[in-house]
Parts: sequence; structure tokens; C-alpha cells
Amino acid sequence: MKAHSKIASILLVLSFLFLTACGSGNGNEIVIGVISPTTGQSAKMGQDMNNAIQMAVDEINGKGGVNNKKIRLVFADDACDPQASTTAANKLVSENVSAVIGGYCSSAVLPASGVFNSAGIPMVVTAANSEKIPENNYKNIFLLNSTASAQAQTATNYMISNLKGKKIAILNDNTAYSVDLAERTRDAIQKAGGQVVLYESVDPNASDFNSVLTKVKSKTPDATYWTGYYAAGGLLIKQFKQQGVSGSFGVADGSVDQTLIKIAGENNAEGVFATMSPLPQFIPGAKNWSKDYETKFKQAPGPYSALSYDGMRLIIHALEQAKSDDPNAITGAIAKTKGFATFAGPVEFKANGTLTKSNFIMIGVKNGQFEMVK
Amino acid sequence: MDIFLQQVINALVVGTFYGLIALGYSMVYGIIRLLNFAHGDLFMLGAFAGFSVLSLFTGQVGFIGIGLALIVSVLVVGLIGLGVERIAYRPLIKKKSPKLNLLITAVGVSLAIEYAVMLSYGPSFRVYPIQLPNTGFHIGDVKITYIQLGIILFTILIMIFLQLFIHKSIYGKAMRSIAIDDTATSLMGIPVHRFIGLTFFMGSGLAAVAGVMDGIYYGQINFLMGFLFGLKAFTAAVIGGIGSVNGAMLGGLVLGIVETLGTVYVGGEWKDVFAFGILILFLVLKPTGLLGEAVNERV
Repeated sequence: MKAHSKIASILLVLSFLFLTACGSGNGNEIVIGVISPTTGQSAKMGQDMNNAIQMAVDEINGKGGVNNKKIRLVFADDACDPQASTTAANKLVSENVSAVIGGYCSSAVLPASGVFNSAGIPMVVTAANSEKIPENNYKNIFLLNSTASAQAQTATNYMISNLKGKKIAILNDNTAYSVDLAERTRDAIQKAGGQVVLYESVDPNASDFNSVLTKVKSKTPDATYWTGYYAAGGLLIKQFKQQGVSGSFGVADGSVDQTLIKIAGENNAEGVFATMSPLPQFIPGAKNWSKDYETKFKQAPGPYSALSYDGMRLIIHALEQAKSDDPNAITGAIAKTKGFATFAGPVEFKANGTLTKSNFIMIGVKNGQFEMVK
Repeated sequence: MDIFLQQVINALVVGTFYGLIALGYSMVYGIIRLLNFAHGDLFMLGAFAGFSVLSLFTGQVGFIGIGLALIVSVLVVGLIGLGVERIAYRPLIKKKSPKLNLLITAVGVSLAIEYAVMLSYGPSFRVYPIQLPNTGFHIGDVKITYIQLGIILFTILIMIFLQLFIHKSIYGKAMRSIAIDDTATSLMGIPVHRFIGLTFFMGSGLAAVAGVMDGIYYGQINFLMGFLFGLKAFTAAVIGGIGSVNGAMLGGLVLGIVETLGTVYVGGEWKDVFAFGILILFLVLKPTGLLGEAVNERV
């Protein structure tokens, strides 16, 4: 009996080895890893990104693939959590992926980018944009979204020049992305001659922000800028209006989602401004793409769907240029990208993997919808 | 001064929510010495049950709609609480399993509820299909909205009812008796397990009330919303003296005030540090809490 079970278990282990070898050693497909949060607070964002990536892959596979090989996606859930993200990254490395795409929360992308850097696998980050990511100077990590300093500058220009604001309050949610952007905005405002009257963090999992907002109210700011995500952002706007705090309310790209307006209530959200990457709904040329997405997934694209779609196309483009699925060759091809057309305009990378040109625009809520501000 | 008073109002509203959830924690602990870590998720279930009821209405939802949402939510979540007790906890209680097994089961129940809701309602934030006006009245510079006042008054009503139920009714007497000695109580011919079930029903119902009120007041719900609220309610229950009904409410208010004052005088990022710091202080220095009696068993 014992001997039997021993043989059986050895066979089982061998068969696993054989199976995994089959999975990655198959020469007829290119394996691309996708890392994004599909559980936890940001699960919806991850799903929106995954859908768009799947869409780009389905399109190219429908045309016969790239370099005569089909692309297969391997999905890993980083749960927007640094530890889960490290596990997810290691899982992708062990699956021998040729390249990785995704990354929503900067706090999760930071450790993952380290894993991919030491494994020599290129990663195209399609949402996270903390300045801490390029600070590591990893040669194989590319950011398709402009970084925080570009966004901080856009926000500052708007608040100081367009709104004629002097006293500005900044709120963040204590995550890497949010704190980084808040710090850069604070510095940019002070440089531009404005005054930061309040700078605070709140707990995004809470639902009552009245205590912080009463504090904001006592400082009578001309504008309040929130650098966190939309769930807490919506509640902040609602309670901001309930308390009757002075000045306008602005949010950063993580809060740009229709749900923000729904949570805040249309009346409360009216006039809220936002700094945002150029989304397909603001770009005339991308209307058709949004429609295709809606037909395929029965829901509208999320804020980072378009960037994720472009990111996957960028990887496909690099695979074509490199004529290989070797990670190093792909890294080289992405770094050499010249004027690759995306929804946001032509894309090129600096040596540190960030975009050469900022892609942030100003939008605002009008009649319950985000619209471009002229 | 006005800002301080405004902050006290803010604290009272938050404290009310903590207190309502802490009530259920305390009642269940009082009777079977179980820290029901799934309690925060019953609160979340309550919010979702209310969401489903309110979604059925088209157009303006009036007080009848809110009343109906509260009643349905209490019944549904109460029955689920009862079911959880029957399926997950009762077999362990009957076997006289170690308390740790119960505790781990509670964590399992918590995850099961969370992800069942995620699968049926989706992972994204849901917006309550009701928007109440921001109107209210001013006392000096302090603004109190009608809905804040409503929440506080409604909670006071619930507290009065609970007091009468526990101290004046025969059912309350049976529950208090089980809390003191369940074996002796069962020897007196009282169906102990039925009353444990009743306690679960009531505790879950109270959580459901808090859930619906949270949904209406804040307007946004999510399958993970019960986690932090559950921890805070646990803290409130410990501060007040776990097992004590009045203590739970008092603990909720104290926690609300400590958190808010921490936010005001130190900074928003310290809010949870204050909340859980006070939990540690109480566990170390005064584990019986403000109004609790001596606790023999610990987890």
C-alpha cells in the first residue's frame, strides 16, 4: 500500500513537471503576463485593464498572431497589495513570460518591477504612475502613463492660473501613488507662489471624512485637491458639499470614474475638476473603439482600459520589430519605439522608461459627465 | 469652539454606527463567549439587502421605502445570522470545541460572506439608489443635517427597546441567565440553543440596521466595507466592556470621539492609530472595559 502511494506520488510530480514544461516550452505561442488587481478594493480597475488587454490579443490572434505565433495571456492578481504583488510577479517569472503588462497601484508595481528587473523581463506599466517607479532606473520598466510630476504641474497650473486660487488644501489617502502626487503638487504650488493651507492623509477604507473636512473648512481654501481613488473621493465630495466648505474640489486621475459622480451625487459633483490622462471618450478618434469594447464586454471601458489596450499593442509592435519573443530583444525594441501611435498621441520613452511628453489634460464634471475643460 | 462642536457632532454620528455594530458583537460574546468576526460582514450584508430593496423602487424613495428596506434587511440578515449559528457555530458549541476553533470558524464565515457578496453583486462600489438632501439646521456655526439627527434619534430608540427587552421581558431574562451559566439554565428547562439563536438573530438584525443606515447616509457600499467597521466595532465593544450592551454603545461613542479628536489635533493619517492604540491600551490595562464585568476566558 505504502509503496503504491509512493510510486503514485512520484508519477504525479513527474506529470506536473511534464505538464509545466509543455506549457512554457511550446514554440507556437508567445506567453505574455498580465499583472493587475482582480480582488480587493481596486478589483474593478484590474478587470477593466484585463478586458482591454484581452481585446488587443484577440484581435492580433484573429489575424494569425505575431511572428507566426499566437499570444497567450497569463493573468496574475496583485490585489493592489505589495506582498501579493511580489507573489504574483514571481508566479509570472516562473511561467517564463516574454513580457509583462498591467500594474494599477503604484504600491504594488514598485516591488513587482524589482522582480521583473532581476528576471530581465520587460514590463509595460499601463496605469500606475508614481515617480518612485522610474527613480529605480530599471532599464526594462516602461510607463505608458505620464508620471506624478507631470500631473502635479498640470493640477497646479489649473488651480493657480485658471481658478486664481491662492489657498489650497491637499488630501491624500496614504498610498504610495497618492502621497507621491500630493507631495509633488504641494511643492509645485509653493513654487508657483500659492499657499498650501492644509496637507493631510485620510484612511480610504473609512466612509466618514467629516472630521478632516471640518478642518479643511476652517482654513477657507480656494481649492481642495484629492489625490486618492474614486471610492473615497466620491464620499469626500459629498461630505465637502454637505459641510459647505469654500472653494472648488479637484481630483487626480485615480478618481476619474463615473462611479465618483454617482457616489457624490450629481448635484454635489457638478463643477468638480480633474487632472486625467487623455481617455478615449475625450478623443474623437477613439469613439469606435469604446463602442467595440462595450459590445464585447457589455460595459463601458474603465479609466485605464484604453492605456492597457495601447500597452498591449505596444508590446505586439515590439514583438514585430524584434522578430523574436526573447525578453531582452523586446526590451530593446520598446526602448527604441519612435512615434508609436496611441489614443493619447505618439509615444516615445526617455532613458528612465517614462514618456517624453506629458499626456495629462484637464477635465471637469458637467451635467453628471466628465468633459474636457477648454 | 464652533469647530470643536462641529467635530463632536461628526464624532457622534460615527460613534453611533460603531456602537450599533458593537451591540451585536457584545450580545453574542456575552452569551456564548464567541468573538463573531463575521459580524462586520453581516453589517455589510445588511447594506446590500437594503440596496436590493431600494433598487426595486422607481422614482422618489420615501420613508415607506426606507422603512421597508430596514424591515426586509433585518429579517434577511437576521435569518442569515441564525443560519450561520446553526451551520457553523452550533456543531462546535455542542462538541465543546476549544474557543480557538470557533474563532477560526468565524474568520472563515467572514471570508465566505464577503466573497459570496462579491460574486453576486460584483467587486465594484455600488451606489445607494437614494439621495437624501443635505438640508439641516444651524446652532451657531454648527451644522446638523436632518439625516444625522434622524440616525442619532433612531439609535436612541433602538437602545431603549433593547434595554426593555433584555431587562423586562422573559426572553431577555433567559438570555441573561444563559450568559451567567448555560448548564444551569438548561437544567431549568430553558431551550438554550433556541435563545442563542435568538441572540444571533437580534445581533445580526442590529448590524443590518446599521448597514442600511450607513448605505443611506454615506451612499456607497462595497463587499469589503464590513472589515474595517467590524474591527472598529470590536474595539468599541472592548472599550465599553465586551458582553455589556450599554458598554457597546458607550464604547462606540468614545471611539468616535477619540478618532475624531485624533484627526483634529494630530492629523487624518493618525485616525486608525488612535482607534487601535486605544484598543491595545484597554486590552492591557483594563480588559473588562468601562462597563464590563470580570472576564474569565480570553481568546
